[in-house]
Amino acid sequence: MRILITSASHDRSAALADHLSQNHEVRLTERTHVETEHEFALSGLGHDSSTNLLTRGIDAIIHAVEPLPGEDVSSQLDAATRCTYNLLMAAAEEGVQKVILLSTLDLMAGYPPGYRVAETWRPLPGTQPPTLTKHMAEQVSREFAREGSLGVTVLRLGEASYETIAVAVDEALAEPASLAAKHRSREEGAAEAWSITHIGERA
Amino acid sequence: MNVLILGGAGMLGPYVARELAPNHNLRITDVNPPQEDLPGEFLLLDAADLDGVVAAAADMDAIVNLSVLRRHRQTAWDVSTRGCYNMMQAAVTHGIRRVINTGPHYTVAGRHITEVHDFDIVPDIPPQPGTNLYALTKAMGLEICRVFTQHHDISVQHYLFYNFKDPAAIQPGERYAPYVISWENAAEAFTLGLDIDLDALPSRNEVFYVFADMPHGKFSNEKTKRILGFKPRKDVEILWK
Repeated sequence: MRILITSASHDRSAALADHLSQNHEVRLTERTHVETEHEFALSGLGHDSSTNLLTRGIDAIIHAVEPLPGEDVSSQLDAATRCTYNLLMAAAEEGVQKVILLSTLDLMAGYPPGYRVAETWRPLPGTQPPTLTKHMAEQVSREFAREGSLGVTVLRLGEASYETIAVAVDEALAEPASLAAKHRSREEGAAEAWSITHIGERA
Repeated sequence: MNVLILGGAGMLGPYVARELAPNHNLRITDVNPPQEDLPGEFLLLDAADLDGVVAAAADMDAIVNLSVLRRHRQTAWDVSTRGCYNMMQAAVTHGIRRVINTGPHYTVAGRHITEVHDFDIVPDIPPQPGTNLYALTKAMGLEICRVFTQHHDISVQHYLFYNFKDPAAIQPGERYAPYVISWENAAEAFTLGLDIDLDALPSRNEVFYVFADMPHGKFSNEKTKRILGFKPRKDVEILWK
């Protein structure tokens, strides 16, 4: 499988690249240049054809939605919303089968301790990053899934080791493509175009 | 009341400014200079400028957001989504409790619930804008507002529109959307939104469809009439009579 991982400057993306490259072809991307042993493509995730080129031939995207070091709130919001939109629009146009969005379990931190919070519960973001930006990226990606143009798996990461996260990503990649783009089967048992999985523990 | 209007030099802005000016002090901003004389103070300001929006909101009692850029994949996000974040951050900074935001009808209904198939389409449905740029960017702005209202004592009224008409310019047999209002009638809703007791609103984040009474029953403006006391004019009926 050919996998594109965003937010290459973030430790988690780098660790996932190391892990996934054992069995897959991996390409990393970031909005600034990043030194890495893996294939790297600099991309501002704009709405020009370069984002299409970035996603062309890719089977799955792991969209990490992490800020650059020292990035201000406006830029973080821009990256989480506009850049996510551009990335997913290009992915849909290029026939990418699967998107894994790395979100945060902090979205559910507002529920009282001890509650058995499920993926179907309403997220409770704050008004600042990272919960607001992760929430907005979830909301944007949900609309692509709603329209059937992409299958999106949201992994809301809580307190979990890299190994646990890697296993969750492996499992998400191993799931059959949820929709076959716009020709998704509506038969009982067909995977949902939009799914959420909580990984690890709530803080 | 001191009222900041964002995007006030656009198409709807002058109508809203003329409607509000007799009873309010206006500070009108826009990324473009106005094409006509507007009442009150005018500032050139991009709604995507966080610091600028926060500064413009100083000493204001309410914010009305009319800013919109529909089609460009940079500016649509800048204005319709981040502009809402900036507006809400400004409201928090200055303790402004009353905000009126605007957008198109498909901010919540998307194109999935359509006037082709459905009737009695109400605004209180889970937003499902789809990936249409205009609908999605405005929906994400609405969501940012909703999140802020969960954490701060700020009430946001979202007025959604579809098709505006100048009654004097309507031509016989003219095509029209199933959700129409005259510019002047639309502007009257903003007076109601500034006057209403915020405690009379069902929640701190309320969506209203603002349009004239129309005979076909596709969309519903019942909530707007019931809660805001909106009185639709009969000035666009020539469209279907």
